[in-house]
Amino acid sequence: MKTTRRELLKAGLYGIGIGASGLLPVPPLFARAAQALGSQTSGDGRILVVLELSGGNDGLNTVVPYGDDAYYRHRPKIGLRPARVRKIDEHFGFNSGMAGFERLYKEGKLAIVHGCGYAKPSFSHFTSMAYWHTAAPNRGDEYGWVGRLADAMAPQAPTNFLVNIDARQSLAVRSKLHTPLVFDDPNKFSREGFYEERDVFAGVADTGTVDNPSRRFLLDIARSAKSASALVKEAWTNYKSPVDYGITGGLDLPKVAALINAGMPTRLYYVSYRNNAFDTHVFQGDLHQRLLTYTSDAVSAFMTDVERIGRSNDVVVMMFSEFGRRVPENSNLGTDHGAANLMFVAGKKVKGGHHGKIPSLTQLDEGDNLVYTTDFRRVYATMISGWLGFKGTPAILNGEFEAFDMFS
Amino acid sequence: MYRRAKWFAAAVFISIITAYGSVAALAQRSGPVQWQNDLTPIAPSDWNYDFAAHLLERAGFGGTPEEIEALARLTPSEAVRRLVYFQNIENNLPPFDHSGVHDPGLEPFPESRPAVTKLAKEKGEALGIKVKPGGDRPIQPIVNKFFYWLRASVLETQRVAYWWANRMLQTRHPLEEKMTLFWHGHFAVNEAKIRDYRKTLGQLELFQKKGTGNFHDLLVAVAQDPAMLSFLDAGVNVKGAPNENFAREIMELFTMGVGNYSEKDVREAARAFTGWNYVDLQFVVHKEQHDEDPKTFLGNTGNFDGVDVIDIILKQPVTARFIAGKIYRFFVRQEMTPEIQEKLGAVLRNNGYQIAPLLETIFLSRDFYSPASVGTQIKSPVQLALSTFKKLGLTEVPGVPDFNVATGVLGQRLFSPPTVAGWPEGRSWMTPGLLLERGNFIRDVLFPDINFIPPDRANPSADIRIVADKIRAGLDISTATMPDRGSEGGLAEANMLADRDEDFNTRYGSFRGWQMAIERVKAIPRNTANIDLTRMVGNAGLKNTTEIVDYFIRRFMRVPPVEEKRKELIAFLNKQLGTSDAEVAKTFMEDPLRLFLHLLMSEPEFQLS
Repeated sequence: MKTTRRELLKAGLYGIGIGASGLLPVPPLFARAAQALGSQTSGDGRILVVLELSGGNDGLNTVVPYGDDAYYRHRPKIGLRPARVRKIDEHFGFNSGMAGFERLYKEGKLAIVHGCGYAKPSFSHFTSMAYWHTAAPNRGDEYGWVGRLADAMAPQAPTNFLVNIDARQSLAVRSKLHTPLVFDDPNKFSREGFYEERDVFAGVADTGTVDNPSRRFLLDIARSAKSASALVKEAWTNYKSPVDYGITGGLDLPKVAALINAGMPTRLYYVSYRNNAFDTHVFQGDLHQRLLTYTSDAVSAFMTDVERIGRSNDVVVMMFSEFGRRVPENSNLGTDHGAANLMFVAGKKVKGGHHGKIPSLTQLDEGDNLVYTTDFRRVYATMISGWLGFKGTPAILNGEFEAFDMFS
Repeated sequence: MYRRAKWFAAAVFISIITAYGSVAALAQRSGPVQWQNDLTPIAPSDWNYDFAAHLLERAGFGGTPEEIEALARLTPSEAVRRLVYFQNIENNLPPFDHSGVHDPGLEPFPESRPAVTKLAKEKGEALGIKVKPGGDRPIQPIVNKFFYWLRASVLETQRVAYWWANRMLQTRHPLEEKMTLFWHGHFAVNEAKIRDYRKTLGQLELFQKKGTGNFHDLLVAVAQDPAMLSFLDAGVNVKGAPNENFAREIMELFTMGVGNYSEKDVREAARAFTGWNYVDLQFVVHKEQHDEDPKTFLGNTGNFDGVDVIDIILKQPVTARFIAGKIYRFFVRQEMTPEIQEKLGAVLRNNGYQIAPLLETIFLSRDFYSPASVGTQIKSPVQLALSTFKKLGLTEVPGVPDFNVATGVLGQRLFSPPTVAGWPEGRSWMTPGLLLERGNFIRDVLFPDINFIPPDRANPSADIRIVADKIRAGLDISTATMPDRGSEGGLAEANMLADRDEDFNTRYGSFRGWQMAIERVKAIPRNTANIDLTRMVGNAGLKNTTEIVDYFIRRFMRVPPVEEKRKELIAFLNKQLGTSDAEVAKTFMEDPLRLFLHLLMSEPEFQLS
């Protein structure tokens, strides 16, 4: 019995009627999903991918201000020497691990936004990340900013508009109206059932008219789970990319590429470099370089992949961390929690280069942190109005934030 | 379709479970539509088994048929009062059994590892341990102890969560625990920031003690409790440099909601709270840090302290509305009319902020038993787990699957709310992935994984595992803790030299801290769920598979699945048993019953309370 089930799983036959449509070139499930969406949302199908770099990336050792002596005064041991950086101009160079970002930058497809942060910064991962997730510094919100964006863009809440690939749902995508499609491993996004149970699980009962709104909602969720798990599995099965995403397997970006490739109607994707990875308190040099290499490999490969798929004009990736790190190095060849930081936006339509005012390395706050020059919500506003072309930014971000001129 | 239109017809069935019926007969009855938004108390003649079941579901964690029947035999007023005024009902539950992981040397616990080593270098000791006069890594034992306490507090918090979950299951005061769960979401604190299980436990006990008492007393107690003081940075709120964190949250999240105060009110309130702090588990006021100058807060001027600010906040009519509204949404339903909120706010205010009369009003109201309220709440993960255990007749929370991991996967790990705003309730609990996960959780309860590894004993991270393996293999600390080489190049020579010169090794400390923590924190018992569905069938005197399916639907579901599904489940059971006769199947029915129950509990309707 057990063997049979495992074989079935391997063959992809167990579960929800996948066998029938799995081999068709245009999966009918997707055709239906795309059709359903077309009538419900406006816009030209542009896609925003948010990549969270959790743990607090050290921006100063990512885009290194090698032209500023103050940088080396603050970081006599861990400061990256000019010879070791990938220079992009007279002042800045990428960490040597970031060949992919250097290439994107030189192709004009990578925007660096300087000095991103907020007033009265929190130095707690948990608290600061919640501020970034909700776009509500020093207060918080019940819903995430990406969730609120989805609500505003598509109030009819079509299925699979918002996808969050992670072990758990991020606060950033928590939405009032939408059911974010949240899954982790596409191979495991399915009901765990025994062989004997599969017919009952596969069945779809006619529910008739349902008065109870919560029950109706759950039945919708159940249908979405049933269809989305099939869609995701199918998209993943059909996705074969020659692009090398690097040693981590590309964070979760290949899964995003697979869904885009399959024509998923998703406009907002949320993924993260998980588990506080960028929290480099000790001996950060090689570790940090490695993290950046993985990130840079994954993002640049993703750009290549969406080009291959033919959607490069429709996709940008926005990257952020909950904070930067302390400007002076600590006594353990690492850095402690800081404040203002860089953000990145990558995409073919992006106006590459520097955006935002570069924060001073000599006029730090009392805690030796960079003083923010760009409210991070300006970058969110840039994604909302500049990229997605949605006009209701103030309602989503609870205030007016000037967008950057970042897209061609 | 059936439920409401056929309400009067359904009433004929009362609590008869028919062998030839349909799901319409199994539906939990609610009152008529007209009851919606009507706060009039229901009459004794309205009262029945279904209403009692609904009450127990919301005011507690659901009940077995026996518990529901006991409540149904009372008048509605008696039943509600038994739940709300529970103080005289004997409830012999054990206090939390501390592992004994804390010692006075840990206080005051420094904010970070760098702060500890700095302290050690300056004072020659820290965390109750002296710096070694010579030899390798003189500060290492101190760093080990720093990590030890972090891990021990996390593990002990998991035990506190188990202790609390068992209280929810075993208590004869279900509303006491349900209200505690409400306040835990309302005054949300996170162990990850507090880093002291004793403080989170202390706050929990405060909720258990005062959760249905007076809101003013509760608010003052919470504001002066080390858990909240620590969580909202009281330590840095001092005269001349006020920190607004607590002042803002007390108004925005705890009492009034945004839009009812100005930024100036936040600043002025912060000044009033200056000097409030804690030493270990004790609330203290550092008088020299308190701002004695007059403050102007919500239109009042005076030399206010924190309690004055709380008094002024509670004088605002919006505060009673805000609290009453939040309690209503937690216990009844997400949507409420301004009229209902106004009326319930008045109940709270007119009773001097006593919470129990408000709860009594809500649970007795026609609105609470109206179709808009009955079977319309989506269970929180904790409610899902506890009510499932309760209805299965379990007397202890299973160790397999792990309660904390399971509820965490589903989005509600106790002592780990996502933000200071707590958990958003209602539909936010549910995603497609999570609906499947909820079904998978049920499967893990009914069919425990024999490869289960206790998360409170297992290695927390690959990094620590690698260090542990290398140390055991006899490598020196420097080599064992060297980060693994990545794809590009090896470890820089400078780093290796630095590693040999150090006063301490953080990675080793992290490993040792974990090792000491699992040595000292008691293990969570890992009993699997004690389930006997065969006996349940026998006790209920069920004769055939139709009766079994209907009984289980009645016992476990507030809203039955559709008729087609019911028939499918009967057919499933017939096939698995090879008979429809319960007597014939009684020696081999356990596994098929569990499969059937897993299917039933995977239905979307099972998520409704």
